[in-house]
Amino acid sequence: MDRNNLGKWLKSPGKMGQKYSLHALYFCTGCGIIEIPPSITTRWDAERFGVIPVATPRQANLFLITGYVSVKTLRYIIRSYEQMPEPKFTVGFGSCPINGGMYWDSYNTIKHLDKYIPVDGWIAGCMPRPEAVFVAVTHLWTLIDKGMADGYNKYRANYQYYRENQEKILGKLEWPPLFSKNIKHEEYRTIA
Amino acid sequence: MKNTGQLLKEKLLLSFEDIQAEVSDEHRLTVNCRKDTVITVLSFLNNSGYDHLALISCVDWIKDNVLELVYILTAYAEDKGKAKMNILVKTRITREKPGLHTVIPVFENAEPYERELHELYGIHFMGHPRLTPLFLEREYKIPPFRKDFDTRKYVQEVFDQIPFVEDKKAEK
Repeated sequence: MDRNNLGKWLKSPGKMGQKYSLHALYFCTGCGIIEIPPSITTRWDAERFGVIPVATPRQANLFLITGYVSVKTLRYIIRSYEQMPEPKFTVGFGSCPINGGMYWDSYNTIKHLDKYIPVDGWIAGCMPRPEAVFVAVTHLWTLIDKGMADGYNKYRANYQYYRENQEKILGKLEWPPLFSKNIKHEEYRTIA
Repeated sequence: MKNTGQLLKEKLLLSFEDIQAEVSDEHRLTVNCRKDTVITVLSFLNNSGYDHLALISCVDWIKDNVLELVYILTAYAEDKGKAKMNILVKTRITREKPGLHTVIPVFENAEPYERELHELYGIHFMGHPRLTPLFLEREYKIPPFRKDFDTRKYVQEVFDQIPFVEDKKAEK
């Protein structure tokens, strides 16, 4: 353990725990997933940074959106995101989730992912190298430290707006709303 | 000595009346036929050893107001002449209410290809067991792979109209 961080560990052990045990959901949305196997295996070994891929969203707290998001994939991204336990962090990987990238005038690709689910950080590039994943992870640590990676709180607070946007693209969603409209943001904070 | 393509061309021209066949390359034979003879031409080729339907593709000739379907056949046989051959069976159908008979009785693997063309070009295949959506999630007024589908306009009308959550919150 780094002795310099001892103060932080004693002050907020929960936060430090979140920082160093990022369980990434192995969810392949596009071409970007090709960078993930080298990142998690011997050459770049993501476990040095505490990042480990897991199979189901119930076990994950880091969601890497790797590559372009088609309308059909968006439905399953939303479902997976809502199933993840809090605190959860989303990182858009590659230029396509940011603004459409090379699919900017495609008929079937989502242009701005953050209109539908909250995104804590972006990795620009097409494709980003595995090193970029680690830069993003270390940056995410800083954000968690400062309490700025609060996408999940934003999702709670603005759930009705997100849900409206999702329904505009996907039509009526077949699952019930995750949060009820009647409870206000502040109350959620106290529950959480 | 004639090569495999030319022999097959002669055989085809003897068997069918209103088709055009052309050997455009050493390993490529193009056959143009009417839409009601496609299935007989395909079953003839299937019986002559070209038993693999590799792809059904479609070209939108918007100026001629036709859709051109291309059935690409190859052979599983190890026979040297046949193994290298690609046979393109082409047929032209109108762009308004396009429809023709399915080729599933001859090539069973045509099913997903025909579903795809139904979805992306709006071609109706008569006798197909299930022409249900395959890839697309939304419904489009004009099938999206047709030339008159304006993708840029579509993006402006659909994706760009969705507001950012922050902006929406600021409004209210």
